[in-house]
Amino acid sequence: MSTGQQIYFTGVTLAFALAVPAGAVLYFRRVRVPRPPVGTFNGRDIVVMMGFVLALPFVYLALPGGVLPVVLALVFSGGLTVGYQPIVGRTPLRWALILALLGVDLAGHQLLGSDSPVYWSANSAIVGLIVVSATNLNIQGGMRLRHIAWFVLALAVYDLTFATAIPLTQELVEAIQGYPFAPSAGLRIGDHSAVIGMGDLLAYSLYTTGAYKAYGRSGLRLAIVLLAVFGAILPTVAPPVLDALTGHRPDLIPAQVLFGPAAFAGYLALRRRGPERRMVELPALPALA
Amino acid sequence: MLETGVRQVRVAMAMVFGRRMSPRLVERLVDDALATLHEFGSPGDDVEQLVDGPFSDPDERRDLQTRALRRTARRLAGRSAFYRERFAAAGVDPAALTLESLRSIPVTVKDDLVTRAADMMCAAPYISTQTTGTTGTPTRVWLSRYELELWPALIALAMLLRGEVRPGDCMQINVSSRATAAVQEDLEMLRLSNASARVVGQVPPDESIDHLLDRAGGIPTLLGAYPSYLGQLVTAARRRGLGPDDFELRALFVGGEVLSPHLAEAARDTFGVRQIHDTYGVTELLPAGGRSCEGGHLHLDLNMGYAEVERLDADEPAEVGELGTLVVTPFYPYRECMPVLRYDTRDVVRVLPDELDCELAGVPAVSKILGKESRLLRTRDGIVTQRDVVEALDGLPGVEWPVRHQARVSGDGRLHLTVAARGPSPSDVVKAFADRDLDVTAEIVELDEDEARLFHPLRCDLREETFTAAPAPKETV
Repeated sequence: MSTGQQIYFTGVTLAFALAVPAGAVLYFRRVRVPRPPVGTFNGRDIVVMMGFVLALPFVYLALPGGVLPVVLALVFSGGLTVGYQPIVGRTPLRWALILALLGVDLAGHQLLGSDSPVYWSANSAIVGLIVVSATNLNIQGGMRLRHIAWFVLALAVYDLTFATAIPLTQELVEAIQGYPFAPSAGLRIGDHSAVIGMGDLLAYSLYTTGAYKAYGRSGLRLAIVLLAVFGAILPTVAPPVLDALTGHRPDLIPAQVLFGPAAFAGYLALRRRGPERRMVELPALPALA
Repeated sequence: MLETGVRQVRVAMAMVFGRRMSPRLVERLVDDALATLHEFGSPGDDVEQLVDGPFSDPDERRDLQTRALRRTARRLAGRSAFYRERFAAAGVDPAALTLESLRSIPVTVKDDLVTRAADMMCAAPYISTQTTGTTGTPTRVWLSRYELELWPALIALAMLLRGEVRPGDCMQINVSSRATAAVQEDLEMLRLSNASARVVGQVPPDESIDHLLDRAGGIPTLLGAYPSYLGQLVTAARRRGLGPDDFELRALFVGGEVLSPHLAEAARDTFGVRQIHDTYGVTELLPAGGRSCEGGHLHLDLNMGYAEVERLDADEPAEVGELGTLVVTPFYPYRECMPVLRYDTRDVVRVLPDELDCELAGVPAVSKILGKESRLLRTRDGIVTQRDVVEALDGLPGVEWPVRHQARVSGDGRLHLTVAARGPSPSDVVKAFADRDLDVTAEIVELDEDEARLFHPLRCDLREETFTAAPAPKETV
């Protein structure tokens, strides 16, 4: 990888790692999602979430190649319609926008190829929007920074295990290559490429929005610094640095391995400021739609 | 959140299919509701559907109620000798019961519960509770352990979600200690809701006022009492010069007697409460009951029972606008030990149209309870109910609540009132009724406390005395 490619890789990764959580925080400040009459996020939900994280890659890999993009398209469209109902209240209009976005993604992939900037722009927009809505469904459902800190720590262990001991992550990356609706965001221009996984974006968005909900602007500032350094910069510059130091360049540095412990330490530091804010302590927002 | 969803589905399935539900499961849902309130300060969207059920669609309501009646009837036919006889005599197959064929089964009356109690027992009895006997022979009703565990959990869930009780509340319970089921239910409901209780009973009103003023321990924010006892509390508080700033009360829960708008207003002014919940509950029918809305209707809980209104003069349904007695069938699995089918409460209500304009419009309603059928006054101007009389008398100038009275129909068909009071004159009484288009004659008598209790017994007369004299009323500025 040339210096230019490395700068592009780090810069674009950093941009996505900051932009999507920023969108999630903006959504959190402006929009309130509907919630069920009874129920709030608790520690056992984290266990269930981790169960999904563990099971989903196996499900993806077990699916026949052509089925995976269909499943992902259905998941994406369902996620978008639930998440953006408060913003685009009219159901036909909401579905028209969703189908248009999915259509551009599919057409860009089929007509211009899987490396086309048009495809990656559309796919990144879909993934970003999904992450923003998923983040808010969880955080506005009562998820706390404590839950998120434990979740990202568990993800770090998971990523380390499946990137080193059991090479599932690499298998998954290869499995979804060549299909539309990839669960990742990024941009490829010529031989410059930067792609960041949807799971990583979700972890960053959850942590950032959770920190903002729990401790306001000071929580947000710390979260941004942590995700920029440990979620984007270090994971992308680590391979050439290791290469220079050891002569061996690893194929993949799972971002959560670096971000998880840092995020957990950040939570421990924030916790010293006092109890986390609850949804009831935040200013009420008018309904948008 | 996922667990809560699973629990809700399990409870909903038990409700729809009529299976016995685990009280522990409902208690855990109460915990979920507490966690929700802690995080969000209020329940989420569509909470009314969760609490009151999806009953705005008449067809859906009919379908759910028919199925609930059938499973209740099947169980009664299997376990109750009394009802087996009833079904056989009426030629009704419990498994094929409909809302129409239900009517061919005679109503169950209080006397049946007194004389055939053993034949009505359908589960292992745990505790007996006795009605107060204010309208005749007290009725003993047996409850199972399951009922005593399930009802408070269901009630706590509904009350928390409606905001009627909040964690940290303290309820002063001023109902008769003989109302075992009600007191036990309240205590358990409060425990599950992270609230506390002061079980005071019907002690002399000044002692109750002292409890309301006491700042040691839980400070009462809720008060449960019969309307007549509430009247005594209002009178006692006013006599002591107390007002809204002296109390921390937020809401009152009253039932068992007629609460007039005048007394309700006086209680609001005196205690500074924002809400008065005028509820309907009958020991024989618990947990099926009803609650009043701002529009003055009584909305019956369709989840737990089926309600009919029978004409006063015939065994057929009363039409809209007519008076009738309330006949209720509580459903299994909510009632299991001594369940009843078509229990005629003899409580008179007026049938209301289906379309109502109130905050509970989705739940069918009747008028508030107008009084007992046996106490209807058939005058030349028409039927005068207990509610008509109480509402007119409670508004008299200068009266102390509760207003004791006797009412009878004279030979000429006019209503004659004898009122035990010190402030108003007979002409005030006549005018109060004339304002309601009722032509009455009246006289005023002055009675001491003991005479008044004999003259017109009320629930507040189920007094609970203590060996030690009540402390002297606190000095107030």
